[in-house]
Amino acid sequence: MVSCNRRELLAVVASRYLEDNHIVFAGTGLPLLAVMLAKRLRAPNLTLVFEAGGIAPALPMLPLSVGDSRTTYRAIRTASMSEVMEMAQQGLITYALLSAAQIDVYGNVNSTILGRSYIQPELRLPGSGGANEMMSLCWKSWIIMEHDRKRFVDRVDFISSPGYLRGPGWREKAGLPAETGPELVFTDLGIFDFEPESKRMRLRATMPGVTVEKIMDQTGFSLIIPVSLREEPPPAEEELRVLREEVDPWRVLLEPDNFLSRVKKKVQGGETWVC
Amino acid sequence: MRILDQGRGSIFSPITPEDFRRHMRSKAQKAHTDKRMDLKTAIAEFVKPGNYLSIGGFSFVRLPMAFLWEVLRQGYVFKMAGGSRSLDFNMLLDNNMVEAVDASYILGMETLGIPYHARRLAERKEIRGELKICEWSNGTMAWRHKAAAMGVPFLPVKSLLGSDTFKYSGAKKVKCPFTGEEVALVPALYSDVAVIHVHKADMYGNCQIYGMLGDDIEKAKSARHVIITTEKIVDAEEFRRGPSPVITQFYVDAVVEVPYGAYPTNMPGLYYLDLEHLKEYLAASKDPHGKKIRAYYQKYFFNPISFQNFLDLNGGMATLERLRKLEQLHNGGENTDGFL
Repeated sequence: MVSCNRRELLAVVASRYLEDNHIVFAGTGLPLLAVMLAKRLRAPNLTLVFEAGGIAPALPMLPLSVGDSRTTYRAIRTASMSEVMEMAQQGLITYALLSAAQIDVYGNVNSTILGRSYIQPELRLPGSGGANEMMSLCWKSWIIMEHDRKRFVDRVDFISSPGYLRGPGWREKAGLPAETGPELVFTDLGIFDFEPESKRMRLRATMPGVTVEKIMDQTGFSLIIPVSLREEPPPAEEELRVLREEVDPWRVLLEPDNFLSRVKKKVQGGETWVC
Repeated sequence: MRILDQGRGSIFSPITPEDFRRHMRSKAQKAHTDKRMDLKTAIAEFVKPGNYLSIGGFSFVRLPMAFLWEVLRQGYVFKMAGGSRSLDFNMLLDNNMVEAVDASYILGMETLGIPYHARRLAERKEIRGELKICEWSNGTMAWRHKAAAMGVPFLPVKSLLGSDTFKYSGAKKVKCPFTGEEVALVPALYSDVAVIHVHKADMYGNCQIYGMLGDDIEKAKSARHVIITTEKIVDAEEFRRGPSPVITQFYVDAVVEVPYGAYPTNMPGLYYLDLEHLKEYLAASKDPHGKKIRAYYQKYFFNPISFQNFLDLNGGMATLERLRKLEQLHNGGENTDGFL
């Protein structure tokens, strides 16, 4: 197995599941890495949209913000936030790829507060951002996040963006568009989906070398574990090569902390950037 | 229409479509006048303590930083629209200048990290009732601005439903009288002042923007007063040849020329964000005693005598040239200056 870090593993694995010829709404970071890799390897006709208005940009260099100039460079259109959200509301957007601070057994996502009390939170987080629209309006929502017991909880402290709420039929009762909802969850430990009858999270595959016991230990609710389980194949050399050399050669998102020093060297060293 | 459910959040901006219509009736007469002025004059004339503020740009992209630099020194307390904000909201909060915010994404800076000082302040102030937060999402904030831009009191939408974000919002759920489906109604959001930084504007306030638009067109259309800061003022004839401006003169009150007015945030096509400065801010905000963040504001906002002075403190033209190269790096060195 070729060695890679957690971000690389998640980007590679999530990229394998995207079907071609769909429109994708992606947050920056891991979701974006997965989409860009899928486009290079097996789904060249995925159309990427960003919430601040960028539609299908060239992306020779990855953005730090879902609104920065790289999300609109050579885009087929630079729209407004309302226009992109309206695309989702009209049913144009298949995939919503996002990350989360906390997720629960029904795929509800919290990014607003940690703690029992809204007024006196243990921690105030940014809020629902564009994720509420993504999870309400796109056909299939995928959540990509790191796996630990504090973040995989029975009930999220606050439903910033809706999964299956409290179970089967709840999305419909709430008035959300039909046939929508979370489809897959990717973590560094496994891949999960939602059992169609109960809408509870179910283990679908383990990540390479990860045991079911470890997953159960790191999950704060009882997961549905199917009888036969698959282990996801590890990232192939070619997948990692494309991710590292073509998708994010500057490691803007693979290692955002040190991105600047690398760029500095290249600018001063007179190296030119080739798309 | 029967209300099926409603959020418990407050509505912070009291302006109604009727108020706005009356305001626009007289404003229309000033549409075709020379609106060039300096930032101090614009703020003195159009920004008042207690105002509801809409700031243009998104996250750390195309923020009107020259305005922020100036207004931070005034210390006014505002209510504000907080749909995907970063430095603007954090900096106003750090300086105790926000009493209420319609929030969808606040207190985060995407991939760059967390502004800890602002976050601690928000938690403390919320408990003491010094900061009121009403929860929204990016889409509903965009649609609230849009409803106001359309001149209607609300819009029906299909998000928010079922979430706790709805519970703590100011939205209401009803059954659509035409189709019978359930929808969330979001109220039009009018601002007292919108401040937007653009690539170029003419003296009447017609503006062009390169790159993402965020909610800026709707924000300009729904504010009683609009202050435009612009990289460059161009001849009005230029817009007659196209491409057409995205913000038109009818809405604009002040046009202020401020080159590099979005620094240290990203100005699409012109200069990339200054990661070094933003990291300095984030690092200062980590100090739990608040000493380092106060020193940061003293150094960059209160000691300099002008925004130009603030730019110089950050390395002046050498830094700006570096950011211009960094901006062009991502597009294979292609010179997007041509747009201007």
